[in-house]
Amino acid sequence: MLSQLIWSSSIVLGILLLVRGLQTRLVSQYPFFFGYVCFVLFGDIISFFISHWNQHVYLYAFWITEFVGLLLGCLVVFEIYRIGLAGYPGTTRMARNALALLFVVAAAKGLVDTVSSPGWWLKPNTIELERMLRTTEALAIVTLALVCLIYSISFGKNLRGILLGYGLYVSALAVSLTFFPGEGHGFWWHALSASYVVAFFPWLIHLWSFQKVQVVEPAAEGTDRDYQTVAKATRQRLQGERGQLARAVRS
Amino acid sequence: MISAPVTLLVGLLVIGSGLLVAQGLASARKGKVQFEALLLEDDSAFPACPSDLVNRIFFADDSKFIQAANSPHLAELFRRERRQVALVWVQQTSASIHRVMHDHKRIARVSKDLDFETEVKLLWLYSELMLLCGALSLAVQAVGPLGVRRLAVYAHAHSQRLAQVQQSFQAATRPRELPRVGAA
Repeated sequence: MLSQLIWSSSIVLGILLLVRGLQTRLVSQYPFFFGYVCFVLFGDIISFFISHWNQHVYLYAFWITEFVGLLLGCLVVFEIYRIGLAGYPGTTRMARNALALLFVVAAAKGLVDTVSSPGWWLKPNTIELERMLRTTEALAIVTLALVCLIYSISFGKNLRGILLGYGLYVSALAVSLTFFPGEGHGFWWHALSASYVVAFFPWLIHLWSFQKVQVVEPAAEGTDRDYQTVAKATRQRLQGERGQLARAVRS
Repeated sequence: MISAPVTLLVGLLVIGSGLLVAQGLASARKGKVQFEALLLEDDSAFPACPSDLVNRIFFADDSKFIQAANSPHLAELFRRERRQVALVWVQQTSASIHRVMHDHKRIARVSKDLDFETEVKLLWLYSELMLLCGALSLAVQAVGPLGVRRLAVYAHAHSQRLAQVQQSFQAATRPRELPRVGAA
């Protein structure tokens, strides 16, 4: 009963978001995001009919849509990165390096696990595999959000909503997959299904109307200044402040 | 595998550091509000504390001078006021650090030749300073500006003692070299 309610509400909310997206023409602004919502919506509708027809086929359909959804989700993150940081080449470079570092760490962990237990990749099932991938995706979103927060990047209402909702969904999914025992329709199973429905609240609130993103004027931000000179001056000023603080402690 | 106590310790250290940085940022915000209360129209008119002020605030000279008057009421008033002055100094210093970094980030985010390593080092230095400001703010509130100095001396003495204990422990546990056969 609860599963049916979550399922049908995700279909209704998905249709509502797509209709609003078409009305406000946000679909053309964020094609990957609305493509993702569209894919999940049709996946849900098709899965709904398959589940009533054949449970065995449904299991395969479920995992196929999950993994294709994961790949499309990565495109959503890429869209946030591309549009949100378009006017900020410095922050783009920071985000790119931070994300590369994150993927190197994730790959290194995988390598260490392989060396310490050679058959580890044979053991995990689909749930474990998705948990690992979703956790990495959640960490990538957190890293991107953190870099944008540090550099006070103004995303605008629409893009902020996409990031917030998608981040919430992926994080909730990673947590639910960690605690989900693998079988049965208990609390974590429902949490797993409800995580997507929860994401619709920030999406609908932030994407209800189109809001123009404020464009940065590079000249006003001082792009003509050499980065190394600026960094050197900042370091000198910060070290001067550190000297003051050290004197306060040692005085 | 990393053991559970180590994970717990590292977790506590990370959370503690995060809270201290947050305290430093809160001090910076208070300092900024104080500046804004001065209704400064020009941002460049942001007043910086004189460098020798720190010596007067945290040194015991003024305290000794007041105590020489033998008035407990005056000594108490001095302690209270000095604590307030020290707190405002920490807030202004952290606000100044925050402003330096804010100006830097405004330029860095649109810079085409940004260097990742330099930027990470600057962000690390900024976090370190904010942590120090947070710790100093808490210490001033807890033990007063003169107590901060005593705490520093105490911590330094203990770290020295800890280093000595560690050295003697290492010396005691170091495997003894076996005498070589045929050595004179």
